[in-house]
Amino acid sequence: MVKVLIVDDTAFMRKLLKNILFSAGFDIVGEAENGKQAVEFYKQLKPDIVTMDIVMPEMNGIDALKEIRRLDPNAKIVMCTAVGQEQMVKMAIKLGAKGYIVKPFQAPKVIEELKKVAKV
Amino acid sequence: MNETKLLAEIFDGEWKKVEVLINGKGITIGRDRIDFKAIMDVEITQNEGKETIKIRSGKDYLLNFGERQGQVYRFLAFNIKSDKFAVYFLSPALRGGVLVANSKWEKGYFSITESAAWFLSPEKIIRVPLSALGSAKKDKRTVGDKQRVVLAVTHLEGKEVITSFILCPETTLELLLDYLHRILEQQKPREKLSELEEQILTMVYTGLDSSNIESILGINTEKLNEIYDKFVNLGIARVVKVRKEIELTPKGIVLVSETAKKLGGGKSG
Repeated sequence: MVKVLIVDDTAFMRKLLKNILFSAGFDIVGEAENGKQAVEFYKQLKPDIVTMDIVMPEMNGIDALKEIRRLDPNAKIVMCTAVGQEQMVKMAIKLGAKGYIVKPFQAPKVIEELKKVAKV
Repeated sequence: MNETKLLAEIFDGEWKKVEVLINGKGITIGRDRIDFKAIMDVEITQNEGKETIKIRSGKDYLLNFGERQGQVYRFLAFNIKSDKFAVYFLSPALRGGVLVANSKWEKGYFSITESAAWFLSPEKIIRVPLSALGSAKKDKRTVGDKQRVVLAVTHLEGKEVITSFILCPETTLELLLDYLHRILEQQKPREKLSELEEQILTMVYTGLDSSNIESILGINTEKLNEIYDKFVNLGIARVVKVRKEIELTPKGIVLVSETAKKLGGGKSG
């Protein structure tokens, strides 16, 4: 079962993603509400995939991505963005993000994208 | 353009053979001559199990052109009465919030007819009914090597939400944005939604069902039904399924006791 860490500063978005991914058979190993927490949880939980919001307090998604990829160059991180953040997304892809989903999203597409990244 | 004669089928209670003439100015269907300027819209529909081109011009014509269907539809889409703007477009750019990998920028037109918006290029004919438009806003995208302001338009295709991008001169972009905003404004509910209602709307969009929504938000069925009713009354949702909740009668309870015995291999305990 693919282990997922969900990172988003909005509780509603975390719940939504958790529900979608759990229903699709992913194992939700943790939730973080900022980049700093995401890095800590990544070290502890060693997820197969991280869904990473970009705009967050404390440490944003780009910095968290850099830090996680520094710790684990094979980390699979899918950025979760709003429309209008193309520059951030491009930067994230350059820094090693494996994909991105744009909010608001539809469940089947999110599942498809994560399965593709996880190579399930 | 020379006149082209085609043998088609027309639906008028039943399918009948009809001769169709098409030239640069219009189309003649049997005895009816219709200028392209008088055609308000065309669309592909299904009729009696056949893919049909529906031509709206005072009255509706339902036609099937067999193997020439695609060619005729394309010709009509480019020539009927419309406001047509030369643009570059990327459609679909996103599908359900996920990047469409093999999509590319195309040179063509963004065209607006009475009831639809169109992305037209030599490769693609995409018709978006105005009722299927979701949003229109400016966005910045990298096109070639340059950062450009584009128009991001979301629209429905079946149950999937598509985002398409339009690149055009700024004055055209402003014009299109204004036009699309006016259409969307007419479709928008007058009443403002609460935070809870917005969350529920997002969850329905995402594809969650009632029981999931209730459990995530910690609300009961009555509350959710009340909000669903409001959405339906506002015209922003429609009922697709009514779920039933039941309780057992004494007869049902006895039956469950019998079933439990069977499941337990007929042994007590």
